[in-house]
Amino acid sequence: MRKFYLIAAYVFAILSLIMTILPMGTIALLPTILTLIFSVLAFLNSTGKQKLIPRIVLIIAILTMMVVLGKAVLVKNNVLNDKQFEQKKEENKKENMKDLEGL
Amino acid sequence: MLVRMKKNNLLFILCLFFIPSFSQISPNEKLVYTASYNMSGLMTQIAQVTMETELVKTSKKSFLHLNFEAATYSKWDSFFKVRDQYESYVDPVTLRTSLYTRSIYEGGYTKTEKYIFSANGLSINSTSSIKNKPEIKKSFSVGNTTRDVISMIYKLRTVDFSNFKSGQSVGFIIAFDEKEYPVSVKYMGKETVTAGNLGKKECYVLSIAAKTDKLKGKDKNLIWLTADSRKVPVLVRFSIPVGTGQLALSISSGK
Repeated sequence: MRKFYLIAAYVFAILSLIMTILPMGTIALLPTILTLIFSVLAFLNSTGKQKLIPRIVLIIAILTMMVVLGKAVLVKNNVLNDKQFEQKKEENKKENMKDLEGL
Repeated sequence: MLVRMKKNNLLFILCLFFIPSFSQISPNEKLVYTASYNMSGLMTQIAQVTMETELVKTSKKSFLHLNFEAATYSKWDSFFKVRDQYESYVDPVTLRTSLYTRSIYEGGYTKTEKYIFSANGLSINSTSSIKNKPEIKKSFSVGNTTRDVISMIYKLRTVDFSNFKSGQSVGFIIAFDEKEYPVSVKYMGKETVTAGNLGKKECYVLSIAAKTDKLKGKDKNLIWLTADSRKVPVLVRFSIPVGTGQLALSISSGK
């Protein structure tokens, strides 16, 4: 059983790291929580030196969770001032006015 | 019925004389929405959608410019950047379309479309181009009530739902992707929802159905319009082949 918990913890840890890097928002908490659960279960089913790896995965899960929550609180949604898009809009408007003039 | 028609006519005449000749749509309105996409059951905010109106004048005529923009938040730009713009130039009173343009950029895919509606509204001269493909020009016949998708949203806002019964529908025909699509809007009832800076608002809940594979599910494409004279769209829930999502009003300005 320890092996299963450990593999599950690894898989969800990788998934949570990927989702933390991607702008998935708090959805990244899902694999992070599962990493926490499986690493704790693997830790409880380990003895002696076996406890080292689940402990490392647990630390990774806690750090990931902090990053996800930190991003959710500190990083605000904003749209970049896209000069190319603004220029395109201006060009479209000029062209549209020409078309309307002909109607 | 006759009394109501007379009332409506009187209201229309009053509008013509006492209110600058616009429909219920103000020429300086700006609505900002947060677009979210459902990922594994959680709504993830992905883009900002803006709907703006402006009065523009040519040497002969005035038009109401309806502008719809969608832009992904900066954190998504490196993964899947979206910069879409839909514009419609309509008659300020009847909201009848004269010109419709669509310019989309979605993760590297681009498409532009321009529809020039004939004066009698019975044909459209279209020009369209898709990334790396030659421009296609064609002309197609349409019914005289056919409009573009943007002006349909604004036209919907001029419908008086106050006397509608649950299940009652109103129909539109829109031109999209060089085809005509019948769209049916069903009144579902009233509900109070959060409407950004407008606070909590009582709204008309409407279900939108169209004979297209772009929308999925029965009564899964819903729009909430404030149950007042402005009929501001405050919430839109959509179901499309690749998932579900919503647009929630964050800022409403102009009257």
